[in-house]
Amino acid sequence: MPEIETHDLTRRFGEFTAVDNLSVQVQRGEIYGLLGPNGAGKSTIIRMLSTLLMPTSGSATVAGFDVSREANDVKKRIGLVSEKLILYTRLTATQNLLFFGRLYKVDSSTLKKRIDELLELVKLTQFKDKAIGSYSSGMRQRVNIIRALLHDPEIIFLDEPTTGLDPQSTRFIWDLVKRLKSRGRTIILTTHMMEEADELADRVCIIDHGKVMADDTSRALKDKFHTESMLDVFLSVTGRELRDSTSQHLSMRGMMAEA
Amino acid sequence: MFDLDLMIDIAKRDLLDLWMAKMLVVMLVMLPLLFIGMFGYMYPPAPSPNPNTNNLGSAYPNLPVCLVVMDNGQMANKIALQFIQVSTGQRLFTVSEAASFQDARNMLVEGKLKGIVVFPQGFSAALASKTSATVQVTVDETNPTIASVVRSEVAGVFNIIDSDMSVHNIDAIDGGQVNSGFLVQPISIINEPLISSSASSFQFLAPGFVALTVVTGSLVGVATSISKEKEQGTMDGLLVAPVSQMAIIAGKVIAQTVRGLIQGFITLVLSVLIFNVTIYGSPIIMVIVMFLGTASFVGVGIVVSTVAPDQETANVMASLLQFPMMFLCGIMFPIEQLPSWMQLIGKALPLYYAADALRKVVILNASMNLIMPDILILIAYAAVTMVLAVPLFDKAMRK
Repeated sequence: MPEIETHDLTRRFGEFTAVDNLSVQVQRGEIYGLLGPNGAGKSTIIRMLSTLLMPTSGSATVAGFDVSREANDVKKRIGLVSEKLILYTRLTATQNLLFFGRLYKVDSSTLKKRIDELLELVKLTQFKDKAIGSYSSGMRQRVNIIRALLHDPEIIFLDEPTTGLDPQSTRFIWDLVKRLKSRGRTIILTTHMMEEADELADRVCIIDHGKVMADDTSRALKDKFHTESMLDVFLSVTGRELRDSTSQHLSMRGMMAEA
Repeated sequence: MFDLDLMIDIAKRDLLDLWMAKMLVVMLVMLPLLFIGMFGYMYPPAPSPNPNTNNLGSAYPNLPVCLVVMDNGQMANKIALQFIQVSTGQRLFTVSEAASFQDARNMLVEGKLKGIVVFPQGFSAALASKTSATVQVTVDETNPTIASVVRSEVAGVFNIIDSDMSVHNIDAIDGGQVNSGFLVQPISIINEPLISSSASSFQFLAPGFVALTVVTGSLVGVATSISKEKEQGTMDGLLVAPVSQMAIIAGKVIAQTVRGLIQGFITLVLSVLIFNVTIYGSPIIMVIVMFLGTASFVGVGIVVSTVAPDQETANVMASLLQFPMMFLCGIMFPIEQLPSWMQLIGKALPLYYAADALRKVVILNASMNLIMPDILILIAYAAVTMVLAVPLFDKAMRK
């Protein structure tokens, strides 16, 4: 049974269809890369799978639970790194991690031990009592990622986890993602970086206009388009046209107010 | 489903977040301090009138007033002198004199005078022929408060002069056969205070301000803290965790209520320490009223946070609600000063009842029973707004 499965998953914002009858499967222990131009629907898919957004129609199961009807069971088993930092900038790393860990009812001694281990893992132990606001973006993202791992989730959603980071931080995060995979975690990764998809993803799903345009291993996709460059594959599938749009859905993303 | 631990964790984090922003904490303390300071000095304590000594008392002592005596008769001069004696003796007015009404009027327009009292020609003659005489009073209408003070104080001074003259007139007519006081003032008034010491205007203002601070503090606080988390994206971190939305809302509400209560407490302490406001009522009932006042408004705060697209808008929306409430709910002025349709709006808002109840407790030592109508209305407000707000929050968060 696939770890994540969607059936005709659809989400509309008014007239705009962000995700259009999406049916995909992700196997346990897989890194599944979601690629697509801006506004293709990647984040909307992630938000629906992580129970933050209700599907307009269709269904999705995560770890065997329905995202609409069994949201709480889904929540316990997933970790989310979304486009925006889920950390309180006024608080220290430790304060943030303790707070988010408690939300998952991780018991106090286990939580403290886990926080120490994870901070050590991302090499931030010496900065643990400094406010997140004083961190560099690479440091913030490292804390943000371990924040999603406190309850040891089976499935991890990473929405553009390395956007805007320096090469050192990017490399560090890639290694971290590989390490999670080696421990049997299932990872959904959205990215604009072809290199990132190439390096990490077992399977690449190219999305455009809310629909699946291609869904295969990167090797198979490259062979199909007779190229060694993922970027060529991507541009062949999605076209070279610029995607400038100011749809209401985009301008209000993350701020649920919608007319 | 409802989780008490998580609710308290969320509340604690909100307060910790506030505590980490030291400058914001300072501002939040400064706000009631400034409010109380401004209004405390704007409304100086009024000396209470004492009928036994014919003492009028004034919150605005020594207002400049000008006499224009157009009548050359002896009576006019005598009464003008008496007017000066009484009003300067009681420190009501500083009195000057002008040759003509036009001169005095110019001075008033220049802002040098607050009122003009004219003794017209024929004043003495009227009194001599045993008919009543008139004086003409003109006040500076650009300041309605001062204008009405001058009017009533001039009337008060002439009352004193009148009764004095009446006593003389009666004695002159019947040669002391009857007690002239009986004819002039058959009934005299002695003020029996409701509370042991005199109530200054500030005694009226302070409980209102405490109510305003507590109630709007939590309204603005809830709206801001929710929309801030929405805007920054941290709300996703709460919503993606297995936490009930009730626990998120309740956590936010508790944190902001605590914040509001602390601000209200600071306001109260300052008004006691600096402006000699006396608290006659029970502190426990006061805390209950403040808590219910807060509860009555958090639903509105939640609605604001779900309707507003970002934090700045939420902030402005909340202030927009806060500002008229200051006037409509009888915080600065008694609600009776408003036109009746505005009074109706004021009475439709829970802040009116919170301020009313708090005032009764602070000034009149009211018991729980006496303020029960206010309490019940506040509870009803809290229940209705919460019932409306929670599903709206739910919908806004998951759409």
